[in-house]
Amino acid sequence: MARPDLLVVGGGITGQCAALSAARAGARVALVDLGLNAGSTANAGSLHVQMQSRFLRLNPHLAENLESSLPLYLSAVKAWEALDAELGGVELTREGGLMLAESEAQLAFLEEKAERERAKGLDVEILGHNALHRMAPWLSEEVIGAELCRDEGKLNPLVANRKMRAALERAGVEIRRDRITALEDGAAPSALGTRRHSAGQILLATAWGTSALLAGTAVHVPTPPEPLHMNITEAGAYEIHHLVQHAERPITLKQFRSGQVVIGGGWEARLSEGAGAPGIRKESLLGNVALAARIAPGIGGLRVLRTWAGYNTPVDGKATIGPLEAASRIHLALPGDAGYTLGPVVGQSAAALALGAEGPIDAAPYSPARWRG
Amino acid sequence: MDRISFTFDGQEVSCAPGSSLAAALTEAGVRGFRETEKGKPRGIFCGMGVCQDCLVSVDGRPNQRACMTATAPGMTVAPQPARPALTAPPAVNRSAHRLTPRVLVVGGGAGGLSAAIAARETGAEVVLLDERKVPGGQYFKQSARPEAAPLDAQQAEGQALVARARDAGVTILPEVTVWGAFDGPEILAADPGAVYAIRPGALIVATGAYERPAMIPGWTLPGVMTVGAAQTLWRSYGTLPGARVALFGNGPLVAQVALELAEGGAEIPLLGESAPAPWRRPLASLAMMRRDPGLARKGLSMLAGLKRQGIAPRHDLRPTRIEAAPAGGLLVHYEQGRHSGRITADAVCLNYGFQPQNEILRLLDCAMTYDARFDQLRPERAPDCRTSIAGVYAVGDCCGLGGAPAAALEGRIAGRAAAGGPGPSAGEAATLARHRAFQDALWRVYDSPAPPLEEAAPETLVCRCEEVEKAALDAALSDDPHDIGALKRATRIGMGRCQGRYCAPALAGLMARRRGTPMGDLSYFAPRVPIKPVDIATITAAEALLAEETNG
Repeated sequence: MARPDLLVVGGGITGQCAALSAARAGARVALVDLGLNAGSTANAGSLHVQMQSRFLRLNPHLAENLESSLPLYLSAVKAWEALDAELGGVELTREGGLMLAESEAQLAFLEEKAERERAKGLDVEILGHNALHRMAPWLSEEVIGAELCRDEGKLNPLVANRKMRAALERAGVEIRRDRITALEDGAAPSALGTRRHSAGQILLATAWGTSALLAGTAVHVPTPPEPLHMNITEAGAYEIHHLVQHAERPITLKQFRSGQVVIGGGWEARLSEGAGAPGIRKESLLGNVALAARIAPGIGGLRVLRTWAGYNTPVDGKATIGPLEAASRIHLALPGDAGYTLGPVVGQSAAALALGAEGPIDAAPYSPARWRG
Repeated sequence: MDRISFTFDGQEVSCAPGSSLAAALTEAGVRGFRETEKGKPRGIFCGMGVCQDCLVSVDGRPNQRACMTATAPGMTVAPQPARPALTAPPAVNRSAHRLTPRVLVVGGGAGGLSAAIAARETGAEVVLLDERKVPGGQYFKQSARPEAAPLDAQQAEGQALVARARDAGVTILPEVTVWGAFDGPEILAADPGAVYAIRPGALIVATGAYERPAMIPGWTLPGVMTVGAAQTLWRSYGTLPGARVALFGNGPLVAQVALELAEGGAEIPLLGESAPAPWRRPLASLAMMRRDPGLARKGLSMLAGLKRQGIAPRHDLRPTRIEAAPAGGLLVHYEQGRHSGRITADAVCLNYGFQPQNEILRLLDCAMTYDARFDQLRPERAPDCRTSIAGVYAVGDCCGLGGAPAAALEGRIAGRAAAGGPGPSAGEAATLARHRAFQDALWRVYDSPAPPLEEAAPETLVCRCEEVEKAALDAALSDDPHDIGALKRATRIGMGRCQGRYCAPALAGLMARRRGTPMGDLSYFAPRVPIKPVDIATITAAEALLAEETNG
């Protein structure tokens, strides 16, 4: 492929979905990626919809951005459901998400949060002790209630990543291995790596690599990586159907259909000095798993098999979708937190804008305009 | 002596006190201890706590390794279901300990015991951790019954070494699994009743090696085990792996164990060595004899012993497939040159070399170099055995194959240095060089490269734990994965309980050949904690210990 209509930079879920939707729409598409592991390929497969207490706690100044993005999360889950059907199953389930409370104060916080989310169209409900424990008998008695968000779910990212790759191949997307270090905008934009990649349009799905690539343009997006710790246990009976979080403590806990319990939730990992994956901190491993065991004593018979870490890119808690400026042929596709959940809808929307087609959502609120100047 | 009894799957089993669960079940004729996710039976395989195949549930606690769990009267043992229910296991009370010895030794084999003694004799306070109930390691394999008379000189020598370590005042903590290694260095470990966070002045890693089996169809069947597993059953527990035992492998250990089992009463229908007969490599054989006449003589007397037992080792022979025999037991297909044959046995033992247990060293970021001849990583070490990381020493077979005499000498050198004593003397350096030259010559006699993974049959399980066949690996390779991590995520190979210990060396070589890249540390799966699967109660107890330290 000499000069593709669209060059996607970044082979995580966002870039893959951008490339797939563009190719399905008839464009000639190339995707360039270095193939190193840390972002989407390190993901654990949560489908978030309700506002994550982790984000609210770490970034209280961005709560408004997160709240205004809630409709995007609903669209994102729909995009994943369509993808699940299209790819032939990625073990996606939408059995809902639980955010747990261990005190009256936490429950009150959840009630207020649920009210705000309901106003944005989310299907949420507050559960008392008995209803909750009927639904989740593996929980600790200390958990007195929860917010149930029926829109949430999970999927198996290993299956999704594998099937996505096969779908890209079938759709005729050319995969190139390169590290892009600079961009040239204009009538014939190019991405520069070990070679020059020219295209009709360029779409950046480059997460924490974005701000460096945009140096020298008028767009300044802060994209510091947030290294996060994850743990996985050996398999148990499939009993944890929900995506589980906590109103105040940093945890996500879910179980794959294949039985392994994945424990994460925003515990810090160590930023890698080179291009490799982030490192593990013992405090995070111990703290994260001990917290999981306290909330869900039912997992206590399983052993932890592996830990790993990946990068989240929270930006400002709100997606960035669209061209750098009106005439630019360089486009951004940045989910802004929860990259795996938002990746498909953000990638598809940015690709549609780049090709002048109609996208799945109105992307105007997510314009890069807020980063200019 | 009085026997004890427990139940397995509702049936009463009796055994001698001190038996491991795996030994007791083997003696009782139980082969399959559990069924996998795909309904396939599994039993004892590595016999040393590495493969995680012999899992059983003990008194309501799931996923216990039968080979590492001691029997106790009245235990309720059950086959481990592939997916245990999510019910909280019975609470265990684990005490938590912060240890700060001057020297910490991990591993109680020839290298570790020697290091601990030398460090102690140089004046340091020394703690030694060993995963087994009785230290001694794979070479000295001690009896589980300390009062038992040693089987032979090798076991007696080990018994004396353990006694010397105790007499010297080394604090030996048995049944301890090391599961975490962090910068500092700091070691996190646990035994059945306690958790330990250890920040030593110096760390000596002496974790030895585990065996390389043959990745062939049927290598996961109950009754198929490593040569070392069979040896442990016999030497530590007095249990034969079967009445009729076929052994296949490469190197002197295979023949030694064949002889030990035969002397113990087993019938040995076949001892298959993959290398040609030593007399077909006269120069290498001569070099070996010249470098250590004593050890070479030991080898010759072993051959004489085999002859007395009526066992004739067959050379240039490799197993190609193992299946369940229609009449019970196992049927092994093998090839010898252009000929092929079949043999039945109730136990089949495999050993095609060793893989260093270098997880701690890799986690601590010690610089590693690939040794193409032995197809393994070796840490870069100074003459006093210190690695590239300050305060971290490494001795013995965890640094790549070297043999017990070299491990012991390296241990003495590292133990002294770690305790602040002098470096190796000229005599020690010369002796070490001689041990290494002997190993070099020995493995020239036995040189016999394993067939590459590319040639494995499509139905071969490349990943024992996740039950991934070679055919699935081939399908994933058609996507041209960038590295071994991408291949792991695409196939689940290496994601199971053994944490890639059996598949990683084979996959690393395959990826390097495909991509034309040199082998090195990055060719293998990235090192990750936990080093061994760690139960959640252990983590909870360790978390409480560290939180208490932080908070005051």
